[in-house]
Amino acid sequence: MIRSRSHVTLVMALAISGPLVCRLTAQTPQPTEYEVQAAYLSNFGRFVEWPAGTAKDPFYVCVLGQDPFGSLLDTALKGEFIAGAPMAAKRIAGPGEAASCRIIYVNPSKDTQIRNVLAGLRNTAALTVSDSADFIRLGGMVQFVLNGNRVRFEINLAAAQRAGLTLSSELLKVAAAVRRAP
Amino acid sequence: MIRVRSYSIRQKLTSMNMLVSGAALLLACAAFAVYELTYFRTTLVQSLSIQAQIVGANSASALLFNDPDSARNTLSALKAAPNISSAGIYTPAGQPFAIYARDPDNQVSYLSIPIVSPEAWKFVGNELILVRVIEFQGKRVGIVQIHSDLSEIRAGLERYAGIVAVVLAVSLLAAFLFSSIFQKTTAQPIAQLAETARVVSREKKYSVRAPVPETRDEIGDLIEAFNEMLAQIQARDTALQTARDELELRVERRTAQVEAVNKELESFTYSVAHDLRAPLRHIQGFSDALIEECARQLDETAKGYLNRIVDSTRRMDQLISDLLGLAHVGRQELHLQPVSLHRLARDVIRDMEHEIQGRNIEWRIGDLPVLDCDPGLMKQVLYNLLSNAVKYTRPRDPAVVEVGQTATEGHRVIFVRDNGVGFNMKYVHKLFGVFERLHRREDFEGTGVGLATVQRIIHKHGGRIWAEAEVDRGATFYFTLGSHENS
Repeated sequence: MIRSRSHVTLVMALAISGPLVCRLTAQTPQPTEYEVQAAYLSNFGRFVEWPAGTAKDPFYVCVLGQDPFGSLLDTALKGEFIAGAPMAAKRIAGPGEAASCRIIYVNPSKDTQIRNVLAGLRNTAALTVSDSADFIRLGGMVQFVLNGNRVRFEINLAAAQRAGLTLSSELLKVAAAVRRAP
Repeated sequence: MIRVRSYSIRQKLTSMNMLVSGAALLLACAAFAVYELTYFRTTLVQSLSIQAQIVGANSASALLFNDPDSARNTLSALKAAPNISSAGIYTPAGQPFAIYARDPDNQVSYLSIPIVSPEAWKFVGNELILVRVIEFQGKRVGIVQIHSDLSEIRAGLERYAGIVAVVLAVSLLAAFLFSSIFQKTTAQPIAQLAETARVVSREKKYSVRAPVPETRDEIGDLIEAFNEMLAQIQARDTALQTARDELELRVERRTAQVEAVNKELESFTYSVAHDLRAPLRHIQGFSDALIEECARQLDETAKGYLNRIVDSTRRMDQLISDLLGLAHVGRQELHLQPVSLHRLARDVIRDMEHEIQGRNIEWRIGDLPVLDCDPGLMKQVLYNLLSNAVKYTRPRDPAVVEVGQTATEGHRVIFVRDNGVGFNMKYVHKLFGVFERLHRREDFEGTGVGLATVQRIIHKHGGRIWAEAEVDRGATFYFTLGSHENS
């Protein structure tokens, strides 16, 4: 009785579930690494206390450097809102264009370039994210890591605080590692 | 119903109290039980809902960042709630994301009931299942399902039922005790009143009183009024008894007086009659001597006077001896013995041989009984009645004198009937008076004492005498011997 009903429930739940989370959790096919990263990028903004102002502007998630997502990021952000602001993707060439960005995905070619980019973004209140190794060590805030075949992330809390961003404990809870000291 | 009616007031009051308080308590307890049950369920659903919300809020990031470990961590906090048997976090598609089970064997990893946003619950068997959609910033990020074990709550309800039963029992006991106490002020006085009334009606004893209760209520008034009534009856009873005693005493005294006077009168009569005889004898003696010795010296006129004197003295002597007889009857003791009236009548007729010489008399002596009476006195009765009959039939030829018995109202009646001159019934009341005569002495001699003597004798025997007559058609005398009569 219960078993048969649970099947019905499952079918119903599948029918009404959203496409994004479906991709996130679907057993087949396994989502790609960049699909997961794009989804995470659409969610980070929800766990950050943003400084006041610029309410009417879209919530920009910027990609600095070469774009590894293609249309994946645009798809992930489509229809999502944070504090009433619609989310949108933006490709920028350098820190100079980062003024309206809330989240900046940094995809540099070299470590030296990372250092330069982060230095250029020092006065921007944006969450910096990258999947480069040493990103945290170099002063980045969120760094994607692969834990087995699962995409996780580490957090540099000191860097975020320096930029005036307060990260939710809920976010810290699900982080693979949190670096608190500068 | 009949059994209830025959209960005493005390039992009725007790059962009434018990029924009322029992019904009130049962209703109250039932209301409380229903309230408690709904309250328990509501509270349980609420607390489970809150737990689901907390779990949901704390697992939103885990869902969004695909971290089942963190979600499991969150779920493991449910260990603190012993009633939660299992819980699970599911993706919006219903895929299990993180599962918690208190007992690993009872792990549930599927959604048990349809999801209705924001939550749905269902009592299934011994479980409450609650499913809640996890929303994060307006976004549906997953589903939480919690199973709560109701056995503890059921045990609580059973405990509650036990307490209710104990409270009910104790309350009924208390009601019983209280009603017993209050009965002292209501049922007990009524019972005592009823008992007193029973004693009064059974033993006719008006000196008892119902105990008056201390409380001033209608029952107290009733009992006081009852006692007051008893007092009045008692007073009246006493007065009545006193009056009766007094009356009896007075009657006794009066009877004694009457008897004394009667005796006095009789002895007076006797002595007068006796004393009158002595001078009369002298007159008689000297008159006889005068006739015998001095007859030659007297002329015819004087002789005529002298004869009249002799006649008068003879009549006076007769009168005196009749009076003496009458007085004697009064003083004489009755010597009762069986007497054949038939034989007695024959004796009397033989004794009257002298009187009836030369008369043509037809005697009809019927079948006469043997009666218990004084033979001497009864002979006097028959003699008087028969000689009267002979006397007043003198003008008849033949004279018919009948003696017989008849019966009226179940009593034996003896009668003496003649076909003589009779008398006017107008004067029948004078018939038995002393010296009363209904005929002139010139026609029929007599002293007027005979019937009075007869009546006295009959009365002395406890009997009755009466007469019926018609002028020139004869007379009939009837008598009974009352209680001395022998059937």
